[in-house]
Amino acid sequence: MRMPAFVRLTIRNIVVNIDPGTLIFMLGLPTLYLFVMGFMFQGINPNGGLVVQYHGIAIKYTTFLAPGIIALQAFTAGNIGGSMLWSDRRWGMFEQIMVGPFRRSEYLLGIIFVSIIFSLVGSAIMIGFALTIPVRFNITPAGIGLFILTMVVGTMLFSSIFLIISGIAKSMQAYNTITILLFFLLDFASTAFYPITNSTPGWLHVIAGGNPLSFISDILRESFISGVDYNSLYYSGILFIAMLIFFVLSLRVYKNIRSGI
Amino acid sequence: MDSLPEDQYEVVVENVKKSYDGKKLALDGISFHIKKGEIYGLLGKNGAGKSTTIKILTTLINFDSGTCNIAGYDLRKDSSKIRKIIGVVQQEESFDFTTVENNFKLAGMLWEVPKNIREERMEKLIDLFGLQEIRKKRMYDLSGGQKKRVQVAREFMHEMKVLFLDEPTVGLDPIMRRKILQYIREQAKNGLTILFTTQNLEEADMICDRIGIIDGGKIVEEGTSEELKLKFGTLRTVKITTQTNVEKYMNEIKERIKTVNYEDISFDENKILILGKNVDRKVGDVIGSLYEMGIEVENVSIENPTLDDVFMRVVER
Ligand SMILES: Nc1ncnc2c1ncn2[C@@H]1O[C@H](COP(=O)(O)OP(=O)(O)OP(=O)(O)O)[C@@H](O)[C@H]1O
Ligand SMILES: [Mg+2]
Repeated sequence: MRMPAFVRLTIRNIVVNIDPGTLIFMLGLPTLYLFVMGFMFQGINPNGGLVVQYHGIAIKYTTFLAPGIIALQAFTAGNIGGSMLWSDRRWGMFEQIMVGPFRRSEYLLGIIFVSIIFSLVGSAIMIGFALTIPVRFNITPAGIGLFILTMVVGTMLFSSIFLIISGIAKSMQAYNTITILLFFLLDFASTAFYPITNSTPGWLHVIAGGNPLSFISDILRESFISGVDYNSLYYSGILFIAMLIFFVLSLRVYKNIRSGI
Repeated sequence: MDSLPEDQYEVVVENVKKSYDGKKLALDGISFHIKKGEIYGLLGKNGAGKSTTIKILTTLINFDSGTCNIAGYDLRKDSSKIRKIIGVVQQEESFDFTTVENNFKLAGMLWEVPKNIREERMEKLIDLFGLQEIRKKRMYDLSGGQKKRVQVAREFMHEMKVLFLDEPTVGLDPIMRRKILQYIREQAKNGLTILFTTQNLEEADMICDRIGIIDGGKIVEEGTSEELKLKFGTLRTVKITTQTNVEKYMNEIKERIKTVNYEDISFDENKILILGKNVDRKVGDVIGSLYEMGIEVENVSIENPTLDDVFMRVVER
């Protein structure tokens, strides 16, 4: 049986990228966030733990945090995926693949697929961990559907962002600086770890509110905690449009990397 | 140039021009043809346009004008078909960020080589390219020469009709260099067509069937290594040692070998030194004449010009 080219490229991307460093970044860090932050923050209020007001319901901080950690997988997987282009350019494999039996679009599909696979597998593992804490999730078919869709769209959005950086970065330093900055900004100025409340300063409100990671975290909270409603679909729509815009931008950058035939 | 019909050539490059910046021409109307199973060597200084030629022929970059045809496919129309039948070893290093073995396995998988053939071929190449001890190592733990070996060997994981090698032996030790060149030679005997660039002229002399000297983005001289040496070789020296003192026969010898067309001749006891273009091809006549005079020849040595001499003369004229 013949395997389509993009599937072969996806397999190659998985083999090349499954190394201890990637696994720690993808699974180790969020696991630490989930357990260490989750339990330590509970200690802020020694009597009865930390409670967050969410959509008018009082929930334990660990339950609030878990969907945020799951959402992080979209960012991490997108980062790993988009960075593959950078590393393939850096180590001469982009050109090597481009002189092989592949089309440019197949290479890109290989990267997007591997990001989505990493993101879905990573978030499934995180859900598993979260349930051992335990958190109180209200799992419904609609919730699972929205979760999968959101992770796919979110991952594609972040892959596109990192593809753009990979496509235009000229040096290793520039690439690392930009990705580390983005990592801190998008991770911590988002609603993944904490809610936006009346006491959040205005400027942070704007940054965190516009951060795609916040969108993903909030949609996942609705999928797993408060239930899918009109609001979740509205946010998904915005996320989808943002993804399309960045995806088109990344295609343009990608096409111009080298004037292939 | 040979007069074979166009379709007898595996690679046809006709008047190709390429500029990276729209001003300076990296290729200025380069033309050459490579026959099936032939090793064609592209020799040239840094910046002459060797890598640019290879990048164009391997569909990596566009060209401005001219035509290229590989195994019957037009480069402009059928680039994706061409990519399926070529192998490329680029000048820059290229490897997957994983172990040596995985690099071979992945190459085989990407090229859809059946699994059993993949394993077998990998074992053979690992042996041949001396990678047995480092096969489990990660690529970034290897020395420069070791990386290069993997890069060249990996390309033989898949079948191909035309192989492009951009300075594949840089950084290799002499033993490995020889082994790899021998292997490449064998592949050509089995019908593989090869475009090969190198800075090492001795190496080009050894394995190339024909050589094109590229300068300023076009072929300035072309031929077999012998043809080029004949055309551009510096004066050759033929040294003849005899059993008798030849100094007293000086004039008679000069008279008898006039037809050799030497440029200079000198006698020193039992030695004769003849200097001139192509004098090496007339050695037989000289020995014959000496024999007729009853002078026994003990030893003859010819100092050949090297391809280096040719190259220097061509690119510095
Ligand atoms: N990406 C590029 N952008 C602009 N100019 C380039 C680029 N690549 C090569 N050139 C120019 O094109 C010319 C030919 O370069 P090329 O790399 O083909 O030379 P080469 O014969 O392979 O040299 P070397 O022996 O150093 O590898 C040079 O003048 C070089 O500066
Ligand atoms: Mg070069």
